Amino acid sequence: MIELFRRLLRTRQGAIAIILLLVIVIACVAGPFVAPHDPDAISFLGRFHPPDAQYWLGADELGRDVFSRLLIGAGRTVPIALMATLLGTLSGAVIGTLSAYLGGRWDEAIMRTIDAVMAIPGLLLALLIVNTLGKGEFNAMMAIAVAFVPGMARITRSVALVARRQDYVGAAIARGESSAWIVLREMLPNVAAPVVIETTIRVAFAVMLFATLSFLGLGAQPPASDWGLMVADGRRYLHQAPWMIIGAGVAIALTAISFNLLGDGLRDALNPRDER
Amino acid sequence: MTPVLQVDGYTLDYATRAGAVHVLDDVSLAIAKGEVLGLVGESGSGKTSLAWAITRALPGNAHEAQGTICLSGEDLRGVSTTRLAAIRGRHIGMVFQDPSTSLNPTLTLGRQVGEVLQRHRGLTRAQAEQETIALLRHVELRDPEALLHRYPHEASGGEKQRVVIATAFACRPELIIFDEPTTALDVITGARILDLFQRLRAETHVAALYISHDLALVSRVADRVAVLERGRIVEEARATDVFRAPTHPYTRRLVQAVPRPDRRLVFDTPQETTVLSGRGLGVRYGRARLFGRTHVTGASGISLDVRAGEILGVVGESGSGKSTLARALTGLAPFQGEITFRGRTIAAPRAMDRAYRGAVQIVFQHPDSSLNPRHRIGETLSRPLRLFGAQDKVADLLEQVRLPASYADRYPHQLSGGEKQRVAIARAFAARPALVICDEITAALDVSVQAAVIELLLTLRQLHGTAYLFITHDINLVRQIAHRLAVMRHGALVDLLPIEALSGPDTHPYTRALLAASPTPVGLEGIT
Amino acid sequence: MSPIWLGRRLLLVGYTLLVVSLIVFAITQALPADAAVMLLGENATPAALAAVRLRLGLNDPMWLQYWRWLFALLHLDFGTSMRTGLPVGSMMFVALSRSLLLAGCAILMMLVIAVPLGTLAALRRGGVIDLLAGLVSYLGVSLPEFVTATMLLIAFADRLQWLPATGYVPLTQDFLDGLRHLVLPTLTVALILIAHVSRMVRSEMVDVLHSDYIRAARLKGLHAGTILFRHALRNALLPVITVVALDVGYLLGGIIIVEEIFAIPGIGRELIIAIETRDLPAIQAGALIMAATYATANLLADIAYAVLDKRIRYD
Repeated sequence: MIELFRRLLRTRQGAIAIILLLVIVIACVAGPFVAPHDPDAISFLGRFHPPDAQYWLGADELGRDVFSRLLIGAGRTVPIALMATLLGTLSGAVIGTLSAYLGGRWDEAIMRTIDAVMAIPGLLLALLIVNTLGKGEFNAMMAIAVAFVPGMARITRSVALVARRQDYVGAAIARGESSAWIVLREMLPNVAAPVVIETTIRVAFAVMLFATLSFLGLGAQPPASDWGLMVADGRRYLHQAPWMIIGAGVAIALTAISFNLLGDGLRDALNPRDER
Repeated sequence: MTPVLQVDGYTLDYATRAGAVHVLDDVSLAIAKGEVLGLVGESGSGKTSLAWAITRALPGNAHEAQGTICLSGEDLRGVSTTRLAAIRGRHIGMVFQDPSTSLNPTLTLGRQVGEVLQRHRGLTRAQAEQETIALLRHVELRDPEALLHRYPHEASGGEKQRVVIATAFACRPELIIFDEPTTALDVITGARILDLFQRLRAETHVAALYISHDLALVSRVADRVAVLERGRIVEEARATDVFRAPTHPYTRRLVQAVPRPDRRLVFDTPQETTVLSGRGLGVRYGRARLFGRTHVTGASGISLDVRAGEILGVVGESGSGKSTLARALTGLAPFQGEITFRGRTIAAPRAMDRAYRGAVQIVFQHPDSSLNPRHRIGETLSRPLRLFGAQDKVADLLEQVRLPASYADRYPHQLSGGEKQRVAIARAFAARPALVICDEITAALDVSVQAAVIELLLTLRQLHGTAYLFITHDINLVRQIAHRLAVMRHGALVDLLPIEALSGPDTHPYTRALLAASPTPVGLEGIT
Repeated sequence: MSPIWLGRRLLLVGYTLLVVSLIVFAITQALPADAAVMLLGENATPAALAAVRLRLGLNDPMWLQYWRWLFALLHLDFGTSMRTGLPVGSMMFVALSRSLLLAGCAILMMLVIAVPLGTLAALRRGGVIDLLAGLVSYLGVSLPEFVTATMLLIAFADRLQWLPATGYVPLTQDFLDGLRHLVLPTLTVALILIAHVSRMVRSEMVDVLHSDYIRAARLKGLHAGTILFRHALRNALLPVITVVALDVGYLLGGIIIVEEIFAIPGIGRELIIAIETRDLPAIQAGALIMAATYATANLLADIAYAVLDKRIRYD
């Protein structure tokens, strides 16, 4: 683990990602304590206050400090995105592995159906699911998880099939290993790396998707200080107070970028042949 | 007379993260008109880098420390990009190792020959097409008009290599570099390509640099042979002398390592008891689809016995079904027919019990993919030991294959190809098998490493009395060690005979063709 | 490309649409909405509601309702909108045509920007353009459409006042003004495509430039332009076709948001309105048409690949 971390730091993307993620983690954990203002404190005088020494990123239509709200928002958005990705990845990985393991007609049937589900754009699927389950953060999280399942199943399967074709799996079969051993000890360590990389990149998507759902009024509900919600609020005051949007937009983008960078860094760091 | 190619004191480094790597060290050679210089070296010797240096196609991190490379007196190191483009293809031609990757998959064969003519001889597209037909006919391709409009994937390997050769000769260059032109081809196809090469060089008096890892082959096609060891030319001699009187110790080692059918390495006779026998074995590869099912036959109707302690060689070209046979015997592919093992009949992979799995082991061709990259060597070896209840320890196994015990803590990527193959052999011997199937286990290795691996296999056989099913495409190698030889073609067994009967009259015509295409090194006739 | 391959491929499109129709039907059934109440309003008498339910067959078993819907679909009858009372099919197809215009512009912009960007980045690895391409690709995949859109609005519509903020003007009505209205939406949806595709083009191009046949082409003494355009580009762009087709999924998702933000009456906006008003037939039709668009794009990509890539034989 420490070795992996060291390898990660040696890649350019990995190093940037770790610094950015460190900032995000601090915001998530310590946000409520370090926020310069009460995120929900309404101040009539502070309405549309432009960014300055007091309000670092300005204030919104109710005079609430944008920076403080962003800090609090991090603590909600990032964990939800992580949970959604984890749920979706795990379910997808199970289906993909199963499909690769069963092979033959079953594999064909499962994968064709997965392909069919992927014909529904992920956002539309998430929209429909949230509307069925009802608005709210938890349901948005479930919707994102479901929307991730087909894609992850597909990737896991293709990675598993590559691993299955390797001669070391052949050697294990030839010496009469059990299916469980072959899947868990021979294939899984080699399947895990690409899946972990893909999962990391998907966290970025989850952050974006969750923000989008909130933006459409389906995820976090007011008066929560959610990033997507802040952009949606700011749209009405786009002319008077563009900082309301810019702050939240940059926060979303930075979080997504750091997970994308982390994924690319892991791709290099997890390569066992890479001697650096 | 100035030589066509003259390399003088050429030294080349690659700048890498780990510092400068010396690739070529003070290399000097000269090739006169009509002469063929063979350049022999093992992987990492720098022979391909020299080809890149001459054709000025070095990678970006190359640093040319000193020396000159002159083509007909012109130093190539100083020429401009424009001049270089005019020289390439016009004055230097090149034939690559693998015709299936050196031809552009999305352009027709005719186009790829014709564009050189258009570029350097100023022909129009129509003229180039006519000239291409003539060129293709000249390299003995049938129906060149039809070939003109085909794409690379629609031609066989031999046809493609002839197209590449036609391209190299198209503008009558002074120098042609051949980089292992037969390595990727089957034995018989390769032999015909060599015949073509001999004819064309006699006709055109081209100077040629023939690069290869195969000393025996080079000694037959070249006039002189230069031996490259880790960037240095250690010996240069007349081709007829290299085998007879190698002077440098490295050359002597190489000569020793070249498989020679006249030098048997196995002298005993196997026992009469049969370890394993297959009757009517066949494999069909299929792909189940949602709608319908497709089938390809990999092998069919193969019957053979392996006796205790016997080395049964299996030869055939790629796609002949040799590896398919190995997969059937180890239960990696569902098969038809039946296998009899110690009196028990097995008709499906599922019926292979622990005793069978332990007694019949396999070693694969590619050491890279046969060891799990995420397992340490110790884990890889301890598993079969535990599975088959053997008393040995990992260290014992490593010692058997002459690797230090400390290798148990290493990962596969920290080992060389030969070392990895030794680990794979150790893994196979962990179960104390009665039969080890060796599927082209030396094909990816250098000659000297191959010789060491073969020696190891023979020692292990002495120790344990193991039988081998030795699958290879190298007839000379298998003639050194096998008791009997099985010849396969198109998924069927065409010959199964004792090694002594190989030169007799009762062999299949295909077996004779294979033998004829695998000649012994030049200069040996006198020794034997 | 054999007829059998094409037939099997078409069969798969059919299967895709069948699966999608099942999912969409299931979701619309699960949506908390009562069609009868929607039609008659909250104050309808129980008797009137019962009558409507009977007329619409809402009391029938689920499979029968599905079958009835599917059967009508096969006759291209998508049903009637509960909101407007108009046929959903024609409404959605008109909206789809506007969305396809936007999608077409985005794909065009992507091709014009991503292919040269990726190619130049691959030709000069580690150079300025390569860094720029890397930056664009990270930004593209990290900015959700609604952020890009609002940022563009702030910059070009609000501050600089170069372009109109929202609205849709048909090109047939006023071509130039229609185009001006399309710029920002196109830019928004194209950004993620550019990011994906330029990255893909770059990595494919790097591989191709290191291939034996490019080395062979160089050693033939061919001109750099010939090598790039005749030998390299075609091979590098082939795999990109498939990626672009898969990206249609993102494109359609992005279009939903972009149409909502820029008030373009396309299929995405119609879908959002339908979802908000619980207009079940419109949701079903919209989702199905989107899936069909995706499936068609992938079919076309496969056919294009089969025609262009001579290596693969489909049987």
